[in-house]
Amino acid sequence: MMGAQPFETIVAAHHAEIFRYLRRVTSRTSEAEDLSQETFLRAYRAYRTLTPEANVRAWLFAIATNLSRNHFRGEKRRRLAYASAAVEQRETDLEGPESVALFGEARTLLETTIRGLPLKQRAAFTLRKMHDLDYETIGQSLDCSAESARAHVFQALRKIRRSLDGHEFAHMEPSR
Amino acid sequence: MKHKPQSCREIEADLIATATGDAEPVVRGRVEDHIGFCAACRGDFQRYREIDGVVGVLRREPAMEGAVRARERLESRLADLRSRLMMYRVFPSPLGNILIARSEHGVSLVEYLGERTGFKFSRLAQVAGVEAQEDGLEVEALYRELLEYLHGKRTRLEWPLDLRLARSDFQRAVMKATVAIPYGAVASYAGIATDVGNRSAVRAVAQALRWNPLPIVVPCHRIIGSSGLLTGYAGDKLSLKTRLLGLEGVPTLSAHRDPRVARDTMYVRDRNEVEYCLPTCGGLPSRTLADLTLFASRERAESAGLAPCTACRPDLHPLSA
Repeated sequence: MMGAQPFETIVAAHHAEIFRYLRRVTSRTSEAEDLSQETFLRAYRAYRTLTPEANVRAWLFAIATNLSRNHFRGEKRRRLAYASAAVEQRETDLEGPESVALFGEARTLLETTIRGLPLKQRAAFTLRKMHDLDYETIGQSLDCSAESARAHVFQALRKIRRSLDGHEFAHMEPSR
Repeated sequence: MKHKPQSCREIEADLIATATGDAEPVVRGRVEDHIGFCAACRGDFQRYREIDGVVGVLRREPAMEGAVRARERLESRLADLRSRLMMYRVFPSPLGNILIARSEHGVSLVEYLGERTGFKFSRLAQVAGVEAQEDGLEVEALYRELLEYLHGKRTRLEWPLDLRLARSDFQRAVMKATVAIPYGAVASYAGIATDVGNRSAVRAVAQALRWNPLPIVVPCHRIIGSSGLLTGYAGDKLSLKTRLLGLEGVPTLSAHRDPRVARDTMYVRDRNEVEYCLPTCGGLPSRTLADLTLFASRERAESAGLAPCTACRPDLHPLSA
């Protein structure tokens, strides 16, 4: 009568990752907290209707992405979030001098650039590069085709590259 | 970048995909061929490799601060939602439309809606602290069992119950006592009052059952007046009471305006007895139903765990059907 697995196991398996995703997309801990909460409350209301074969993780990412899109609808709100995120970022910089020293400038610039991307690009980039979702799934989350999802990631990388022009970080080794 | 040759512009997307580990082998081959002779794109390629390295650092970051607190808050919100959420659906039935609602603890509401179908007509719409959600899957199985019951193919509804829509602890106690009255039997409001430890609370018991949130499952139709009159059911639905009792084989006389059970055609159990009797046994005919339970048949009495009385021997002299 209930869903394929108890909801507790869904929360246990996916909450940390969904929170990270939303923290990356919204840039704010408080918004990540609110939106991740809303994601799982919505999921709870609906998960009984999931088929046993459903990809729960992809489904949760889709709910989270939709909520972020609603949240950021309206340019004003987005800009406000961006401004306050910049403040929060400075605070964390002060807290973690070692990590800043290690990856310093490039990393900060990268984060700032990601934060400034339009939501679709930011979400697509984060889903692909941070959470390894395939383009089909990302497209479903963003209401677009897999090809458009791929194009969003491509555009995001181009912008990141442009924003890093003139900055040296040759000591960084590729992760793959 | 503006002055890039056509071939470089065309391969840019593939180059980025390859440098960031996101390309098919065939695409990789094309890109490697291109950067073999194009120094500008080779530089770009290296640059994207470096970016991918920084991205890799970001993705490997340990758990983010705030995640633990967010999880704790979620757990408490979820617990709250779970306690409030009720799944319901409205179904057609031989008794008119019926709404069935359940929480995660059990069935919480069975409601006669008559001709109406809308949720807004339900008690559920008025209950504070409940979030109602229409959901077929959850209550579909309950509905099927209820239909079987209403068609006489099932005598028990062994549903987990959630008594939270009861209005008081007294009402909950009355409901629990009522659940104990078996299929094919009737007891009195006075008898239930005695069961819950307050012999004089007869009218309060009647009121509690009038607002029974779980009719049929909590069989308040099996509770009647001490005189044998059916008295009332769910407000103004006395005909449903007659019908439900008829389904269980309980004989009723509706020659008069006020229907009553035909007690002289039913077997009788006195309070605390382990035997059932003919209605004529001893002083039974002159007693009210306050301490008696009536059974529609020997079979019903015996499936309630009772033995035939050794004085009147209902087993040797059964009532004619």
